[in-house]
Amino acid sequence: MSVIASATLHSIPEVQAAIAAGESMFLAGSREALSQLPKGNWVGGTIAYFMTEEGGLFAEDRIYVTRVPDFALGAEAIDYGPDDLAQLYRDAPVNGFTHLVLPAATKVLQVFAEQAPDFEGFLMRPVVGWVSGVRVERIGIDSPAVFNGKSGAVFEDRCVAMHVTLPSGKIADLDIVNIFESGNGDVIHFDKAGFCATECVIGGKPVNLADYIYEKRIPTEFPLVGDYNGSSINVSFQSVDPAARTVQMYAPVFPGVDYRFAKPVGDYSSAFGQAIASGEQQPGFACNCILNYLYGQLEGKKTGDITGPITFGEIAHQLLNQTMVRLYLRDIG
Amino acid sequence: MLPDINHPVWVEFVTGTKPLHSTKTTINMLVHNNKTSYENDPSPENVKKLVARTHDFLTQFQTLFAIEVAEILK
Repeated sequence: MSVIASATLHSIPEVQAAIAAGESMFLAGSREALSQLPKGNWVGGTIAYFMTEEGGLFAEDRIYVTRVPDFALGAEAIDYGPDDLAQLYRDAPVNGFTHLVLPAATKVLQVFAEQAPDFEGFLMRPVVGWVSGVRVERIGIDSPAVFNGKSGAVFEDRCVAMHVTLPSGKIADLDIVNIFESGNGDVIHFDKAGFCATECVIGGKPVNLADYIYEKRIPTEFPLVGDYNGSSINVSFQSVDPAARTVQMYAPVFPGVDYRFAKPVGDYSSAFGQAIASGEQQPGFACNCILNYLYGQLEGKKTGDITGPITFGEIAHQLLNQTMVRLYLRDIG
Repeated sequence: MLPDINHPVWVEFVTGTKPLHSTKTTINMLVHNNKTSYENDPSPENVKKLVARTHDFLTQFQTLFAIEVAEILK
């Protein structure tokens, strides 16, 4: 019997009690809040923005708790650096999922984002998670961190995973809610993978992406949308430097993907509400993007009935941007 | 029950000869990943690797992708 409700915000003393009771948990909270927790079977990352039952919320004195369900057969916390990240897939259970938290703007995030699709075990071992961050006013001043509750270690340059083993009657199912769709503009291709783009190919001709965005006056609060066999995968813009003629993004672009600029979205809250069927089963875990929170002015506004941390990047097998990610634990048969 | 790994449908699927239309992101990532891998390396060895991975994936997750499996086998 759990001492704490699954998937909701809790006070620090409530989370301390749950850890003492032996709960296995994924946690999201401010560095100050997470630093007050004892060792235990938990992993966490720094963020103080949340989707709650009442709407988007900033809170540094509470922690978003996702309990590992009682039916799980095991939950093991392990941290990884950029050099041993491929080991994550070898450590992942054959039937289960891995909850992964990576600190923003780090080498380990870059390695995951660029190389995960090539790792042995990609897609076969479901990986769900998010990118830890800081207060948006403190970007570039404070450092995002992740916590391995088992060892008590705090990292700014490593990621932390909890590998959850499921019984044979359950299976992990990841899905995404993307309120953006491709616009009707040019198809854009890239010759190499990376978070920073200079040249791209449009209509078979090399084009500088920064020049293109500037000349076409393209609003960069909306992402590039990649076509993955019909599924839309976003890459969001961090900055466009017209002088250096470079574009920095929050996730890598990849060769072999057809990208287009997204159709603009007006009311983000309504768009999420429409995309999420009412009465839909609550996921085992969910997160949404800080850019949706900021650009969509989601403070105090709901995103369907889904709750969870609001993050600096979302993971459903690979790094995503401006996307809601959901994990469901389905019954088999 | 999935066809054996040596069934020709798997080569058709991983090389894109047999397209799949799905709304599910995970399997669309698999199709996309197969496509780019095959375009970069169309060798028989790589096709064999992609078939093995795809067969393993659909064996493990066939309850989630029953509609997609049916479309592949059509």
